[in-house]
Amino acid sequence: MTTEVLAPSRAVISNRWVRFAFRRLGRLIVSVWVVVTAAFAIIHLIPGDPVRAAMGMTVSPEIVEARRELLGLNLPLWEQYLRFWRGLFTGDLGTSIMTGLPVGDIIGYQLPATLSLALPAFLVAIGLAIPLGVTMAVITRNGRARRTELGFVGTSVVMGTIPDFIYGIIFIALFGVSLHWLPVAGRRGFTSYILPVVALAIAPILVLARIVRVEVLAVLRTDYVRTARAKRLANWQIYTKHALPNAITATLTLAGMLLATMCISTVFVENIFAWPGLGQTIVGAITSKDYPVAQAIILIYALAVIIINTVVDLVLAIIDPRSTVSEG
Amino acid sequence: MATPIKRAFRTPLAFAALVMISIVALLAIFGPIIWGAQASEVNISNMLAPPSWEHWAGTDALGRDLFTRVLVATRLTVLLTLEATAIGVSGGILFGCGPFLLGPRFGKAVTWFIGIAVAFPGLLLALFFAIIFGAGASSAALALGLASAPSFARLCQTLVAGILARDYVGAAQISGSGRFRILIRHILPNIGEPLIVNATIGAGSVLLSFAGLSFLGLGVQAPAYDWGRLLMECLRSIYVHPIASVTPGVAVVLAGLAFNLTGESLAHALGITSLGDLGLRAKIRSLRHDPSITLDTDEPTQDAIVCVRDLHVGFPAGLDIVEPVRGVSFDIFAGEAVGLVGESGCGKSLTALAVAQLLEEPAQVWAHSLIFHGTELLDCGNDNKETTKARNHLLGTSMAMIFQDPMTSLNPTRRVGEQLAELGRVHGGLNHRQARLRAIERLGAVRITNPERRARQYPYEFSGGMRQRAMIGVGVMLTPKLIIADEPTTALDVIVQEQILDLLGAIRREDGAALLLISHDVSVVREVCSRILVMYAGRIIEELPSADLDQARHPYTRLLVAAVPNMTTDITQPLPTIPGRPPEPGPIVGCSFSPRCPLADDRCRSTDPDLITNGNTRVACWHAGQPLVQIAEVVE
Amino acid sequence: MSELTFHDVSVHFGTSRHRLIAVDHVNLTVGSAGILGLVGESGSGKSTLARAAVGLAPITTGTITLGGKPVPMKGKNRPLAMIFQDPSASLDPRMSVGDSIWEAGRGAHGGEDKQSTITHLLSLVHLDPKHAKSYPGQLSGGQRQRVAIARALAGKPQVIIADEITSSLDVSSQGAILNLVRELVDELALTMLFISHNLAVVRYVSTRFAVMYSGRIVEEGETSAIIDTPSHEYTRQLLAAIPGGSS
Repeated sequence: MTTEVLAPSRAVISNRWVRFAFRRLGRLIVSVWVVVTAAFAIIHLIPGDPVRAAMGMTVSPEIVEARRELLGLNLPLWEQYLRFWRGLFTGDLGTSIMTGLPVGDIIGYQLPATLSLALPAFLVAIGLAIPLGVTMAVITRNGRARRTELGFVGTSVVMGTIPDFIYGIIFIALFGVSLHWLPVAGRRGFTSYILPVVALAIAPILVLARIVRVEVLAVLRTDYVRTARAKRLANWQIYTKHALPNAITATLTLAGMLLATMCISTVFVENIFAWPGLGQTIVGAITSKDYPVAQAIILIYALAVIIINTVVDLVLAIIDPRSTVSEG
Repeated sequence: MATPIKRAFRTPLAFAALVMISIVALLAIFGPIIWGAQASEVNISNMLAPPSWEHWAGTDALGRDLFTRVLVATRLTVLLTLEATAIGVSGGILFGCGPFLLGPRFGKAVTWFIGIAVAFPGLLLALFFAIIFGAGASSAALALGLASAPSFARLCQTLVAGILARDYVGAAQISGSGRFRILIRHILPNIGEPLIVNATIGAGSVLLSFAGLSFLGLGVQAPAYDWGRLLMECLRSIYVHPIASVTPGVAVVLAGLAFNLTGESLAHALGITSLGDLGLRAKIRSLRHDPSITLDTDEPTQDAIVCVRDLHVGFPAGLDIVEPVRGVSFDIFAGEAVGLVGESGCGKSLTALAVAQLLEEPAQVWAHSLIFHGTELLDCGNDNKETTKARNHLLGTSMAMIFQDPMTSLNPTRRVGEQLAELGRVHGGLNHRQARLRAIERLGAVRITNPERRARQYPYEFSGGMRQRAMIGVGVMLTPKLIIADEPTTALDVIVQEQILDLLGAIRREDGAALLLISHDVSVVREVCSRILVMYAGRIIEELPSADLDQARHPYTRLLVAAVPNMTTDITQPLPTIPGRPPEPGPIVGCSFSPRCPLADDRCRSTDPDLITNGNTRVACWHAGQPLVQIAEVVE
Repeated sequence: MSELTFHDVSVHFGTSRHRLIAVDHVNLTVGSAGILGLVGESGSGKSTLARAAVGLAPITTGTITLGGKPVPMKGKNRPLAMIFQDPSASLDPRMSVGDSIWEAGRGAHGGEDKQSTITHLLSLVHLDPKHAKSYPGQLSGGQRQRVAIARALAGKPQVIIADEITSSLDVSSQGAILNLVRELVDELALTMLFISHNLAVVRYVSTRFAVMYSGRIVEEGETSAIIDTPSHEYTRQLLAAIPGGSS
């Protein structure tokens, strides 16, 4: 308490924020534990013998047994579990049943490709959706510009519903096959990024912009914005200083979820644009029952989601100090 | 339940949704019967044909007609969607309502688990289950169903928790109803609607996700086909036949939209529906300049801080306008405290907001004159940037507003000190440092202890009474000529109320500001104000010095005073009551109080009395000052 | 005898680390056939005490007895009923007025006819029996509170707990509800604990009242006696704060 009186104002919040961050990291650890355990459990939840299912009925029992041995499936459960954890820390994620390659190598090669797709899409989505949503809210507040409102809501509902893989197919048909403007397969050069990134980002942009608009409109109706208007501040001051920080709070939670979904949606986009990333591999692994590979990739996705969620919460706590008080 | 649904499908968008969902349903039922054979007819000589009269969307790699294949695939697509949705919703209800039936300890575990599961996108969970169950139609349905269960469970939990917090559940518990009975009789009927709405919207996204899984080869396997499978097959020939590959995609999007829009329309109908009209503004403008509007007034008074003449507030309602404030005139003089009382819905808050120029569209304000501190505020027609700026500066420096709910009137994301200092910087010409020091000084002036530390805190760290002090602090950051306080103590406890009223009095004496105090509580107004305006149904019906309140001449004022017990009320007599309710805003014939008035006669019911000035009082009543007959308790 | 007595009752909320003591060792007796007022500000614990009496809040220590026997907190046909503050939250919007009243009295009127029971209860609270078919959304605030009172009477309780029953009503309905409460208590010889933050309202309905402050009863006695010579500092502040009050 005594330090609070003397310290500059910033310190008060950052102390609280650090305490919140510690609590939040505690939850992160629990989530990681749950996710790792779930990924570990996959192979034991599969009905029947996973190795036999993977290798087919024709393979001799000796080979199956050898592969079981290699995968460590004959060890006691707790030992397998410990090995799984140890593997995570040492980067030894086992070997692919199909190719015999180390899973760690497969991921090391493909994760950058997936990230190079997800991150730009991410930034484009956030960078466009928030200004678009705020602008639409300001233009259409209190029932102004009804036609613009109808147009925006209609467009965003329709275009926000279209899933990324259909955007992908349309883009290939239009820009690739018919117009020959842009490359439609593989990861070579800047132009090859354009179609997959746009296909990935377009629906989230519209959904997010719609949410931002609704949130900003809700905030514009609050008592404290009325207070700000009673102070006769200029409109831009009301929007930037009073409305936006409050609208962001509610928006960001949803945005985090949307971005996490976008991260997983790379699965579709990679398969359409023959992008050499995790998404192509996991689909192949699921259909060919290559469990170690599928396990590892799903774990990567889940960890990405956890990281996104944590970052969103930490950012929220800076913008809106109240969120540090709630259950955390 | 029938009426809101009927209302829902009256909008064009909802109608379109209904048509789309009906088409999807009809195709699902009859598609395979009509076109089933045609769709699987192989024709090697006509592979990958472009669209033609015979084959609207062309043919696939085996020469089969693509358009009929899309139509036939509707059934499998819809069936799998419904299957997955049903799994998700049942799982959701089970886990969402389970904690309530099974008690808090089990409930906590379930809630914790759901909390972790909902943090992951449905698609990720679907992939997780797809690894376990393998590729295939039924395993994909199971995977998607299980993947959507957590979000439905979360929804159910939130809904159930909302219902449990309601007092009618408490009442049922007291009367001895068991948990199961409460679930059946009270919870399920009340969460049914939102659940159905969300399940419909959820089915839309399940349909899209299912198409995605089939498209990846994880869902429906050949030779069966759904839209996702068709998409995948078409993608292989996209270079030869780009149009064909888009056709199943169109079907997916249209069906997904059909579910989504149906759900959204339902949600909209069960919430609020109202659409304004564009032709109204012209009508209101013509009203503003209507010479037939009678003025009950003389010319504006010169030395008043506020001078209001024939103030109206209107809202569009369908093709018409309702007027919750219908011609209000009053003055407030420098340093004077004036009270504005009336039941809720009588227009007192709207009057205050109109005077403060804080009403926005769709509300419309017009008046003969609305003068604040010598400046006409409603100078419509000759507005320009300069005058607007000057007016804002005048209002910013000289008029302060205090609102009812201190919990929501301060910005939760900004420090209290900043919220005061801001005003000093924008209108007071202070720099950052000066504004901060002034803010701290003012927080001290509104009797907040340790203002330096408090200035750095956020509103949530303040109690209700302290927040209201801070709001007053915002008001007196500069030197206001008028403080408008709209029910400033209604949300507060009696002792805190007394302190706030006390503070308002002290501030007023120090700064010489006038006060317009709005309250439903006659006793509060009487204690603080020297003059009282009584409003009913959008008009001032009586004005009198507060000392004369017990000798009020309007029957409404007298009943209002007598109906509220105070510390001197005769406890041996029943309280006088005012039967009925104030009229809804709308056309009123005769005196607006006549339906509730014990003195009403035919003249009252046909002709509205004028507000007659008599010395320092005004009253609008044909029977002003006549004794009230005691009204018998009326069966409502 | 239907004397409701709180013996050393405490209610604690939260975990052991963040404990909130809502009710702190309260001893209070609501004498039979009459109204005891209970005054306090928001957060003083008066509503928690009320909820504890009917089993909606867990009692940490102490006992609550009715006529010397512990108040049953489980099962049908309980001797205590409660009327809540906000009638729009205390009536199920999906249940008709008649059904709400009938459900509350299931245990009490064994073979009685549903229609006549509902008609009787509605007329007791001066509501037209035709409202039995109405839903709460179709009624005004004052009418809804009358329904809530009828529902409380349906179980033929010995004691009724009225928690801030007029504070969400408009002034014109408040007076009518207060008149009704006094009339019912007189006619039916009910025992009532009448909770309010408004001392003037409590003074009007009850001849005795108690003052609650931060979880404790700080003063109890005859209404006129307390108002004339308050003994506790908080009561003095409360009396001084009443607008247009005694001073």
